[in-house]
Amino acid sequence: MYPQKRSSHPNPVLLRLAVCCLHILTLMAAFAHGQSGATNSPDDDKIVADFGSRVKSYVESRKKAGGTAKPTKESAELAKHKKETKAKVRSERADAKQGDIFAPEIAAYFRRQLAAALTGPKGGEIRASLRHAEPVAPVPLKVNESYPAGLALQSTPPSLLLNLPRLPKGLEYRIVGHDLVLHDSVTNLIVDLIPDALPNT
Amino acid sequence: MLAVWLSVGCFAGVANLLGTAAIGAPRAFPQSGLQGQAALLEQVSGSAPEIKLPLLPKSVRFAVIGDSGTGERAQYEVAKEMEIYRGKVGFDFVIMLGDNIYGRHQPKDFLQKFELPYKPLLDAGVKFYASLGNHDDPNDERLYKPFNMGGERYYSFQKGDVGFFVLDSNYMDPAQLDWLEKTLHDSKAKWKICYFHHPLYSDGKYHGPDLDLRAQVLPIFKRNGVNVVFSGHEHVYERLKPEEGIHYFILGNSGKLMTHDFRSRENMEVGLDSDRGFMIVEIAGDYLYFQAISRVGQTIDSGKVARQEN
Repeated sequence: MYPQKRSSHPNPVLLRLAVCCLHILTLMAAFAHGQSGATNSPDDDKIVADFGSRVKSYVESRKKAGGTAKPTKESAELAKHKKETKAKVRSERADAKQGDIFAPEIAAYFRRQLAAALTGPKGGEIRASLRHAEPVAPVPLKVNESYPAGLALQSTPPSLLLNLPRLPKGLEYRIVGHDLVLHDSVTNLIVDLIPDALPNT
Repeated sequence: MLAVWLSVGCFAGVANLLGTAAIGAPRAFPQSGLQGQAALLEQVSGSAPEIKLPLLPKSVRFAVIGDSGTGERAQYEVAKEMEIYRGKVGFDFVIMLGDNIYGRHQPKDFLQKFELPYKPLLDAGVKFYASLGNHDDPNDERLYKPFNMGGERYYSFQKGDVGFFVLDSNYMDPAQLDWLEKTLHDSKAKWKICYFHHPLYSDGKYHGPDLDLRAQVLPIFKRNGVNVVFSGHEHVYERLKPEEGIHYFILGNSGKLMTHDFRSRENMEVGLDSDRGFMIVEIAGDYLYFQAISRVGQTIDSGKVARQEN
């Protein structure tokens, strides 16, 4: 909102400064609340914290199982390390099921965030990026199983990521069809997923 | 002010067919997927490499490949041509624009789709600096030492006065955006070159530009004086019209090829969608010289770009 013009003559420099400050404050507020401009309620903050602790627990179990390999020129060593780590993580999480990390309240929060991003000011660009990025056709995905070998990973639009909680290194949000997948790039395992997470817009 | 000067090839007929202007200003690619062009290219193959770079002392010289890792014959042919040109130009590193290994990522894939085709270059000590494409395995490739990624999805390195900022455009998360802003800002490099897989501008009809990626990274590029951007993904060669002082190249045809892929010439200076290729680049002082070369060793495009204080 711009300051009203008054009958007395205000200092134009001060006026410009005030307008600039307003713009900066608006931008900062928009950034803090994500691209959609949606504000996290205290309940949302609790949900995000709960999600964070579930993710942390998964990352710790993966670290125990072998963690990330060291850089090497031997691709066979990388393949061996990944295979062994994956087997240990899968064994450790043998009972893992869909919703362990994306529990119902958490999944509902993610759906809201995704919908807000897709219907917000960046929605058109996000949808265009999803369409242009070589969309991955729906494939059967299962928690604690590998992401299909050789299948391209669709890029995740940056404006979408700005609306979701940050993840530790090695974990990624990936869009597969309309599903949101929590993908562990270290082991290539599907940690959890939300089916039909993206709204039909 | 940036200025582009386009050189005139010896094979003026081929150059015209390929869209390179015969004299002076660059011209849009007149036709795509030309059969006659392929035949003409076959005729000129086998001739001595025609070098359009000035080969100045102490310059930074490198090659560019994108969407290379098919393991098919055409990739090997491009690689062979790269080796021929390296003998003349002496580039000592190659930047990779993603899709470095298509399909599975078993040891035999790294062998057939990277180590064998580029063996002469690797044996000569040429270093490869990879960025990740949507067909790459982000874990295995960042840890694969011959790709020189230092174990990271995104990273930077410097050669002489030239800073290279290598991004993972598959997953441009807030952490990477923060890193990009800070790393570009802190860099004292005279030239700032960003490269990554998904193009911000493209006349390709298969993928086109990534609008959301552009909306997030372009303001950072502008704020921090990026001069040149290289991308792949679209399986063609395209040099785009400069946008606000930044020059854009797409090179996604070093292994894959998508013929008849240009939907328009709206943003195009020069394009090729009928053969595979690679590029060689030389940077000396305030000028970047480029030469795009086809699978059969023919010059597709060449010129020079003056550095602008962005």
